[in-house]
Amino acid sequence: MKTSSFLAGLAAAVLCVLPAMAQEPLRASLNSDIRSTQPGGNRDFNTDSVVLHMVEGLVALDERAMPVPMLAEKVDVSPDGRTYTFTLRQGVTFHNGVPLTSAEVLWSLRRYMDPATQWRCLPDLNGRTGLAKVTEMAAPDARTMTVTLEKPAALFLSILARPDCGETGILHPSSVGADGAWIKPVGTGPFMMGEWRRGQFVELDRFDGYVSLPGERDGFAGGKQALVPKVRFVVIPDSSAAKAALLAGNVDVLTDVPSPELPDLRARADVTVLAAPTMGVTGLLMQTRDPLLKDARIRQAIALSLDVPELVSAMIGDDAPANASPLPSASAFRSDAQTGRPARDIAAAKRLLAQAGYRGQTIRMITNRRYPNVYDAAVATQAMAAEAGIKIELEVLDWATQLDRYTRGDYQMMSFIYSPRLDPSLSYEMLSGPKDMQPRKVWEDPQALALIQQSMTATDSAARQRIFDELYKLFMTQVPMIVLYNQPDYLAFRKGVRGAKPWAAGQTRLWNVSRD
Amino acid sequence: MRLRMNAAIGGTLMALVTGTAITSAFWTPENPLRIAMRARLNAPSAAHWLGTDEVGRDVVSRLMAGAGTSCLVAALTVLAAVVLGSLIGLVSGFARGWVDRVLMLVNDALLAFPGILLALGLLAVLGASQWGIVAALGLAYTPTVARIVRGAVLSIREREFVEASRSIGNSALYTMWRHVLPGTVSPLTVLATSLFGWAILAESALSFLGLGVPPPAPTWGNMLAAARPYLESAIWLGVAPGACIALTLLGVNLLGDALRDHLDPRSRPQ
Amino acid sequence: MTATYALKRLAMAVPTLLLVAVAVFALLRLVPGDPAQLMLGDAADADQLAALRESMGLNHALPVQFANWLGAALRGDLGHSLANGQAVLPLILERFQVTASIVLLAVALAALIAIPLGTIAAWKQNSALDVAVVGGATLLLSIPSFWLGLLLLLFFGLKLGWVPVVGYVGFGESPWQALLYIVLPVVTLTLIETGVLTRMARSAAIDVLRLEYVAHARSKGLRESTVLRRHVLPNAFAPTLTLLGIVLGNLLGGIAVIETVFTIPGLGRLLVDGIYARDYPVVQGTMLFVAAIYVVVNLLTDLLYPFFDPRVAAE
Repeated sequence: MKTSSFLAGLAAAVLCVLPAMAQEPLRASLNSDIRSTQPGGNRDFNTDSVVLHMVEGLVALDERAMPVPMLAEKVDVSPDGRTYTFTLRQGVTFHNGVPLTSAEVLWSLRRYMDPATQWRCLPDLNGRTGLAKVTEMAAPDARTMTVTLEKPAALFLSILARPDCGETGILHPSSVGADGAWIKPVGTGPFMMGEWRRGQFVELDRFDGYVSLPGERDGFAGGKQALVPKVRFVVIPDSSAAKAALLAGNVDVLTDVPSPELPDLRARADVTVLAAPTMGVTGLLMQTRDPLLKDARIRQAIALSLDVPELVSAMIGDDAPANASPLPSASAFRSDAQTGRPARDIAAAKRLLAQAGYRGQTIRMITNRRYPNVYDAAVATQAMAAEAGIKIELEVLDWATQLDRYTRGDYQMMSFIYSPRLDPSLSYEMLSGPKDMQPRKVWEDPQALALIQQSMTATDSAARQRIFDELYKLFMTQVPMIVLYNQPDYLAFRKGVRGAKPWAAGQTRLWNVSRD
Repeated sequence: MRLRMNAAIGGTLMALVTGTAITSAFWTPENPLRIAMRARLNAPSAAHWLGTDEVGRDVVSRLMAGAGTSCLVAALTVLAAVVLGSLIGLVSGFARGWVDRVLMLVNDALLAFPGILLALGLLAVLGASQWGIVAALGLAYTPTVARIVRGAVLSIREREFVEASRSIGNSALYTMWRHVLPGTVSPLTVLATSLFGWAILAESALSFLGLGVPPPAPTWGNMLAAARPYLESAIWLGVAPGACIALTLLGVNLLGDALRDHLDPRSRPQ
Repeated sequence: MTATYALKRLAMAVPTLLLVAVAVFALLRLVPGDPAQLMLGDAADADQLAALRESMGLNHALPVQFANWLGAALRGDLGHSLANGQAVLPLILERFQVTASIVLLAVALAALIAIPLGTIAAWKQNSALDVAVVGGATLLLSIPSFWLGLLLLLFFGLKLGWVPVVGYVGFGESPWQALLYIVLPVVTLTLIETGVLTRMARSAAIDVLRLEYVAHARSKGLRESTVLRRHVLPNAFAPTLTLLGIVLGNLLGGIAVIETVFTIPGLGRLLVDGIYARDYPVVQGTMLFVAAIYVVVNLLTDLLYPFFDPRVAAE
């Protein structure tokens, strides 16, 4: 009784406070706090999203996730394919007002190539992973930067542009202290570092001296305008709470919306939900060394027992198509030869199971609740496979434990989500490799591994296309993994917010976004 | 009057819950595990009294089956905690000396660990399974049981009949079994009733944090957790399991009160 | 006497805390998955993992890691978060402030409601009023806190829009705003703790009412209300105080769920997030801190007990 009068008093008072919210910054949700402000350093997906508002690289991803010039005006490749010459744009300044020259670019790249920096993408550029090896870097004049590789590498620019590499963001040396310790990003992006209240929010301020590329927004490149003086990324780990925050007007933009929250949001007139397929892959991994699952017939039977289009449409409706291939549906290398998937056929599945001598043994499938789509896929798979007499038991783990099991290859089946791979060779490489050396890999068929290797060195796109077509055929007969679909990136925002848009790479972009 | 009312209401509620739990092992209106993707989130209707959930399963059937799982997990948890805790408490209280000190040190350390956190850590190690929950919660509640049993033992062992039993040459084990253990029964019964309620609550809280009994087996806790995103558009999904938990706990608490009043003459109405 | 007793009790707490530290450390390392793996995700190759583990200091033998951590902890340095490099002790203190303000407010409110209510119920034992109070309290304590929280959030936050549904503002910044953000979690906890405490206060008061000096006071012809106010209420407070200590300790552990529902950056969420992120120093530090708080709260209630209970003081 006492509490209710207490509440009523409070409520009356609250109503007077609400109008003050008009001066609030543009607020977007973030499902976990950023790890640091270092590009490509201590990072995760959210860290990349925030950091890439402040720093920019020589090249950046465009809307379809292909690398295009950003701070470089143009990129020339020498005839032998080894030397890249970046000509810098004029008039670009850092957040501290200092104009961008090749000196800062050279300083930044040297810093990234220094093992002490612990840059995430160093192994990809020093030859460790075999993708590319930088042998020389130079700044012949103030507007020119050259990078020489040991041998031609088709993936060099796309590595530089990768969001998880922090776009190899060019920094002013004042970003670090005299001892080399990180202070904050002094970059060239449309926003500057503001207040970071850990566990609560990160605030960025508009950089008034920003010189935009002409044209529309184009991925992480193209025209960028900071339309609001301040943006704030509000940390809300709980997705239901995040949704509630959007509905109550405590945030303006809801990023990375999990699929279970969508029906409620779509039912609201004052909320807009947009979707765009990403390059991430949701699917079911099968351990090809498992005593039971090493028999391809059982793996095929599981695939045949699933009505994937039904499963996908029940989970995400029409937001993304079902996709049987490790290549994302948006990939330029997806040909007609790579679209087929055998329709659900319970009788055929049962036949295969009988041939393989399956007698109802339990197959354990690992899943987690951190990614609702991964969890839903597991639950639906379990129910559908049961109709073909396949007994699947779910093991719901926390994400860290599942990752550990994945890394060690310690599972029978696993409902999993791969982070985006932006190159088709990498889409196959992510799941293929010798298990003795890389236990996390799913597929170790020698023929497939040879084909993937070929695809990395082939420069002719028609030749690559043929390789990927062949790989797909092999993949569909051996079924080391059942690909379901490419998870869409969902963005929801309140009435009055303009310009917010999801895209293939999935990171939130708050430039060119305004609020009435 | 209060005693009888508590016993009547609590008993009815608990009979209802356990009855449902047992029935669900043989019969539910529909298969609680059958997914119908075309019938997701249907509102309550004649066909589905409490509607369907996010993958089209019948909520009533799942609530019934959930009663089974929740009660089983809670009962096994209580059993584990009572057996282990009584053992520690008996030994500790009867042996005294350094054995007691060491056991109580461990016990205090465990008590200083908030139960749900202990369960959280243990579950991560043991893996989230029905048995993992029972082991984790059982262990989390063991120190509480040990404490109470030890206290009871300490007070009983000073009584004349225990001294008498020892003095006529009965072994310590026999004395403990014959004379000390029976004295701990009434505080234990009362405690076990509360533990049952705590276990149901803790299981639902763990499920809520994503670590409960793994699907597809329904428990009220994981139904509530799964319902969370739909609370606004499908409120029945969240209200029904929550109400089941609350009613069960109410039953447990009332029955516990009645039991305590019955077993502890001091608080009996004069 | 009290001072030596307190010191003795504190000394006794040292092995308990040490045991907690060892247990937490062991438990954490038994849990599969580590922070390096989480950071690298699905693309982690063995070399990169090894390098990252080394930079996090996870390559040493476990006893060495533990000794290093404990040594630093004894000097008051709980290390730095592996997830974002923050110093752990200030982080804990900052989060504890948030949790403590909610828990203390809720327990204080609950005590204010529960103790008089419980005393009156005891005084009118077995009356309709008593039955109603006990019944109401039992109902309140039977409601799962997070469920109640969700329903309140749904109703007051979303349907009525009276309070913000997410976030937190420190009291130092804007006391009024801070109150708005914590009102729902406080109300949720208060309601449930009122249920618990009312029952405790009632049975404590029943015990006191049976004591002879109450009968004596009554026989002197004192008015019932005076007896109740002067003798029963203060004395019933003592056992309730002990239980208040236990409630406080349990709340600190159980609040993780409430903090998740209301997205409050408190200690409970720090711990749960830390466990999920395998942020070893944060989890170890937080658990040690919670255990220490528990010990201190229990000690304080024990020390305060004689001041409220004439029976103990007389002995």
